[in-house]
Amino acid sequence: MGNTMIKVNHLSKAFGDLEVLRDINMEVSEGEVVCIIGPSGSGKSTFLRCINQLETPTSGEVLYKGENICDSTADIRKFREEVGMVFQRFNLFPLKTVLGNVTMAPVLTKHRNKSEAKEIGMELLKKVGLENKAHVMPSTLSGGQQQRVAIARALAMEPAALLFDEPTSALDPELVGEVLNVMKDLAKEGMTMIVVTHEMAFARDVADRVIFMADGYVVEEGPAKQVMENPKEERTKTFLSRFLNQ
Amino acid sequence: MGIDLELLQTIGPMLFRGLKVTMEIAVIGILLGFILGSLCGYALQGRNKIAKGIANLYVWIMRGTPIVVQALYVYFVVPEIIGLIKGERMVLDPTLAGILVITLNAGAFISQLVRGALDSVDIGQKEAGASLGLSKMQIMIHIIIPPAFRSIIPSLFNQFIISVKDTALLSMISVNEITRQTQNFVMRTYKTIPGYTVCAIFYLVLLSVLMIVQKLVEKKIASK
Repeated sequence: MGNTMIKVNHLSKAFGDLEVLRDINMEVSEGEVVCIIGPSGSGKSTFLRCINQLETPTSGEVLYKGENICDSTADIRKFREEVGMVFQRFNLFPLKTVLGNVTMAPVLTKHRNKSEAKEIGMELLKKVGLENKAHVMPSTLSGGQQQRVAIARALAMEPAALLFDEPTSALDPELVGEVLNVMKDLAKEGMTMIVVTHEMAFARDVADRVIFMADGYVVEEGPAKQVMENPKEERTKTFLSRFLNQ
Repeated sequence: MGIDLELLQTIGPMLFRGLKVTMEIAVIGILLGFILGSLCGYALQGRNKIAKGIANLYVWIMRGTPIVVQALYVYFVVPEIIGLIKGERMVLDPTLAGILVITLNAGAFISQLVRGALDSVDIGQKEAGASLGLSKMQIMIHIIIPPAFRSIIPSLFNQFIISVKDTALLSMISVNEITRQTQNFVMRTYKTIPGYTVCAIFYLVLLSVLMIVQKLVEKKIASK
């Protein structure tokens, strides 16, 4: 593992009186894959969204390569260019073709010329197995295909890390595999990833480290194998019991 | 007192001269109204309280007064007030006043469409744009406006049809559009029944053509 890339210190988030995250601490190194698991409503997604400031934390800090991006003077756009995100509901731009979705941001933010962006875009679509769909509209694709386009779109920014917010939760069961396979390939290539997921096998087999969250707390964290197969905390054991007994 | 060839030869050219004025006012009015309505609609859903207040005031006045009164006000009262301030008599060209009235009126209704359309763009797409490092302006231009614009095209066309009909009220301020031309014809010839009948049929054909175009446009949008 490389140097620390993202470090979260004492992060809390409340929506009005509702405390969703309480004093979360986390460190992610370059090339590391961290999976965040836990019951629905435990704050996993909110935590991920706080990392790139789609939600503003109530307190605490998020350090990216040593710089606190929660600071009002921090360049959040620069951070977002370097740390991409993949959403549960794909969030593709419906009026743009598949390739248009992938090339838009690099052209706008990196001022890449269009033909170059298209070339790289086609490369990425090939990588996620959708080069033959480059010129169709996203609405004609299956959920799994749309999510792979969303991954290609995030990769087009040449990110240093990717955040995945339950990337397979909105998919029909038979489409989950194709998305997880793309994510496994990314992990193998050394992409730094933080993945909020309900896919326990993926967490065990692909993640370097697993964080178990419940009720806004980090209940347990450690090497993937250990947390997934030999959890220490009762709460983790209960949560994982169905998975472990399979 | 039937509708004969001689009558059509007299009223026909008048109606077509009126048509030119009607369409000129409606087209320019809806285009300017779209610009005005877009600005106000943007203000209505934005965070700037002063801009929002001004836009709300404008929409309130337009919705709360009849278009005839607006026309009379723009044509008679506004030049009078400007005259008092500048100290010299001022006359507003009726067609210009008409364009102004249609612009103001259409703009108020379009602002409501624009506000709704901007609000209705899926927040997930805005977040996707933000997560890719786009600026607020880039998100507005490249992510929010295209689907919002598309969603209001049918309603915009509807407003255009309403505006075309609204121009008839501008006969009150001596704009030489279709209705005024008919009034002139009837006043000169006393041929009340055929005059207004031809006028009504003329409008019906005009509006039917516009309604057919509207259907085609809607189909085209739906098919994409």
